[in-house]
Amino acid sequence: MSSLKVTALVISGIAFASLPFWADQGIMFLAGLVLIEAVFALSWNLLFGFTGLASFGHAAFFAIGAYLTGYALRTGMEAPFLLMILASGLLGAAVAAITGLVLLRRTTGIHLAIFTLALAEVLRIIIGYSTTLGREDGLASIPRPTLDFGVIAIDLSSGRAYYWFLCVAAALLAWLLWVVCHGPFGRTLVSLRQDPERTAFMGVNVPGYRLAAFTISGGIASISGALYAPWAQIVTPESAHWIHSTQPMLASLLGGVHSFWGPVLGTVLFSLINYLTRNMVGLAELVIGITLLVIVLAAPTGVMGLLENLRKRAEKRPAGIADPIEMPAERQAS
Amino acid sequence: MTLLDLAFTLVNGLATGMAVFLVAAGLTLIFGILKILNFAHGAFFMIGAYVAYTIVGSNPSSIWLFILAAVVAGIVVAVLGFIADRIVLQRLRNVDEAYMLIATFAVLMICSGIVKLIWGVNYASINPPPMLDGAVIIGQLFIPSYSLFVIIAGIVVFLILDFAIHRTWLGKLLQSVANDSWMSGLLGINVPVALTSTVIASFLLAGLAGGLLLANQTLSPILGESFLLLAFMAVIIGGLGNVRGAFIAAILLGVIESASSLLMPNMPGMATYIFVILFLLAKPQGLLGGQRI
Repeated sequence: MSSLKVTALVISGIAFASLPFWADQGIMFLAGLVLIEAVFALSWNLLFGFTGLASFGHAAFFAIGAYLTGYALRTGMEAPFLLMILASGLLGAAVAAITGLVLLRRTTGIHLAIFTLALAEVLRIIIGYSTTLGREDGLASIPRPTLDFGVIAIDLSSGRAYYWFLCVAAALLAWLLWVVCHGPFGRTLVSLRQDPERTAFMGVNVPGYRLAAFTISGGIASISGALYAPWAQIVTPESAHWIHSTQPMLASLLGGVHSFWGPVLGTVLFSLINYLTRNMVGLAELVIGITLLVIVLAAPTGVMGLLENLRKRAEKRPAGIADPIEMPAERQAS
Repeated sequence: MTLLDLAFTLVNGLATGMAVFLVAAGLTLIFGILKILNFAHGAFFMIGAYVAYTIVGSNPSSIWLFILAAVVAGIVVAVLGFIADRIVLQRLRNVDEAYMLIATFAVLMICSGIVKLIWGVNYASINPPPMLDGAVIIGQLFIPSYSLFVIIAGIVVFLILDFAIHRTWLGKLLQSVANDSWMSGLLGINVPVALTSTVIASFLLAGLAGGLLLANQTLSPILGESFLLLAFMAVIIGGLGNVRGAFIAAILLGVIESASSLLMPNMPGMATYIFVILFLLAKPQGLLGGQRI
């Protein structure tokens, strides 16, 4: 990582952590949502940006985690909150593993997209007709839990406390994904995105790696849902809607899919645009749409790719020496 | 279940299926030749409906005016399609498909923003024109004439499209472009013009569908969504942009949808998705997979 990125990370980390001191409640709530959606987007991009699999139904995993945790908290289950989050992650990973086992063997590409979309819609319909899960109204007034470590207990019922908990959780999850993406495992994923056939020739178990990526991604998405339930204090079937599935896609593509931090940047930008246009009927969509379009047309590699190009230009490389890993070449290969 | 129920379900399913096909026709065309999964298609379908509504109002006076309005809507949307192609689609021809997806999603948002600005967020419902307002009664079977109209419109559009693609010079040209655009270019075919005309035709079909399906719909800024997903599924089940496949798939989906509302009325839509999942597991290439268009 370049020193520029480290500086940017540290500054944004401080900005997020200190937010409750200088921003009002509404903005703090939105910042919490940004943290959750950023983790969700990172989990999606592990699949798309690194493995080359496009899931159109990723919101299903988010909903699984959100509903499991929301339901457990509402019924006053005596399990520790961290265990609930872990259980959500495991359930999401298990569902991802099972569906991945069936789906990934048959398809990739556009078929996988439609498959996952259909599965997510089935889940949404089931939730919408399940009385236990509150039907179309969802689960409302979900209480915020207490973190009990035996020796000390941290009460998360206040907005600030839960917000800081979200900061820590999001940072941990991002770090975990960063390690996964930048180790040998992530390298293999990138190589099989770029050329699955050659990667298979090198003796890599391509279906196995795809399944592993799908499972990890589903698990993390589910955890982001589990974090969401007590923050919003309400979970509705909308969280499994395909429109919600497009959120991580848009954020990742906006930020830049071949860069690890792209999805996070995209989520922040998206929320900013949403926040600034919140009071305009019709105009809001117009502004978001035009912004997206301009970014895609001007910088198909996303904002991160654009920044990278600008940095390269600023460094003024000697003419004639091409960078062996320029973005456009990589984009065509994917 | 009596025979009458069965016949009723079949007719209803056919009407739903043809409505889906009308939307899926343009979608499958652009998917087959340009390999774009056009998210904006539903939005342009919606714009077509609003344009037709502006022409005929809530109570269209005659069936001919109704059809004329649909054709005008088709032409207006085709012009918009030409503009969209120039500004957006053309510039992204050589970029990864995923970026096309976000671009068409952006166009979708712009369209729904424009619709809200021009026509507002209020709902409007439109009655069928007088000739289509009644019902045809065969024995005990009661068929709304508007359903019959939609079925006939779907079949007519399919026959024209099928003839155009498989029997005309232009259609064969498009087929060759779809199969190998590089080679087609080498043989002297003007590939950019072929692609642009495909986009225009696809948008024309979207606008036309919006006009034809106007009656009995609630006109609102979310109209596009309701048909878009079903149309996507018809395109995928049909086998990657195959018009004949999409036609059969649309009928299948329509009949399943209508049968499921008879057999399991408290879970609408469920059977359709389950069918899509099972079908794709059994036959990932789709009904008529392997042959494009």
